[in-house]
Amino acid sequence: MAEPVYFESVAVGDDIPVLAKGPMTTAHIIRWSAAMENWHKIHYDWRYATGHDGLPDVLVNGSWKQHVLAQLLVDWAGETGWLWKMNFQYRGMNIPGDTLTAWGRVTGTRRRADYGVVELEIGLKDQNGREGSPGTASVVLPLKGGPGVPYPFDPAVLH
Amino acid sequence: MAVDELVDYITAEVRAVIGARSDWIEAPHPVEASENRRFFQALMDPNPRFWDEAHARTTRYGGVVTPPAFAVHAFRRPAGELNDSLAAAGDPDFDGVSRAMRPGLPKLPVPLSGILNGGYEYEFFSYPKVGERILCRSAYLDIYQKQGKSGPMVMVVIEDEYRTADGRPLLKSLNTMIMR
Repeated sequence: MAEPVYFESVAVGDDIPVLAKGPMTTAHIIRWSAAMENWHKIHYDWRYATGHDGLPDVLVNGSWKQHVLAQLLVDWAGETGWLWKMNFQYRGMNIPGDTLTAWGRVTGTRRRADYGVVELEIGLKDQNGREGSPGTASVVLPLKGGPGVPYPFDPAVLH
Repeated sequence: MAVDELVDYITAEVRAVIGARSDWIEAPHPVEASENRRFFQALMDPNPRFWDEAHARTTRYGGVVTPPAFAVHAFRRPAGELNDSLAAAGDPDFDGVSRAMRPGLPKLPVPLSGILNGGYEYEFFSYPKVGERILCRSAYLDIYQKQGKSGPMVMVVIEDEYRTADGRPLLKSLNTMIMR
């Protein structure tokens, strides 16, 4: 298991380790659509996506992209931290051939009771650096020598 | 100016459903190991806490869990739902999307055919374990109109709360759906 990340080791401006997925193919897209039982044709019917809806190609599911952002943050927080809050907007479309890289940068740190809360700017860039899912997140981390974040997480532990 | 730029979709009928909140509704079946497997494999996230029971028992979760936001996808078609969701597949305009926003919330009387997901705000409390039953309660927090590049858009802000059958909170979300 990875070393726990402690609040004291995090500073504003730090980049957390990125998480890359891709290149995405139509097979990856339909695997997700089938797992979700989402039959929106823009994800698998090229003729419909480009002809009827005027899109550049079939699209990578937004519902898939959100979990990549969650994985980025959960993997970083580790088994003693907790991904508390995450928000993002679907701003950009992604198509087969794209490689998506989830990234996060620390924008704030606050000590709260026995824990630390780290604020981050997050997003999901394509291979050309174009940002498609900008957002923010709050991750709760243990202090050095302190207890791990209790599970299930109750925000009351921060007061 | 196109005629539809003048249309006000936020009618009295639409305003009447703002604030509507559903009861707690249970997902059609408990979290299944195979359903979870298809989910994390499609995410390309093979973390052992999603599949290795011996490992997962040693973690704070006490057993195999799903990825964090799994619950938002747990409300599938029940086995007894006999209406074919692809019945209209022969219609060239059929897009494959259900217009029902959430189980338990009234359908929105908005005559716009396009639907897009605008994004989410999540707050996480715990993860569902395989075998657990998931419940959800939803509300239309707000519904408002915006002018987009290609015409009017109706923004639908939905709050969802998810918990397990024994009352453990899983997550809360604010989801903005865009009708256009």
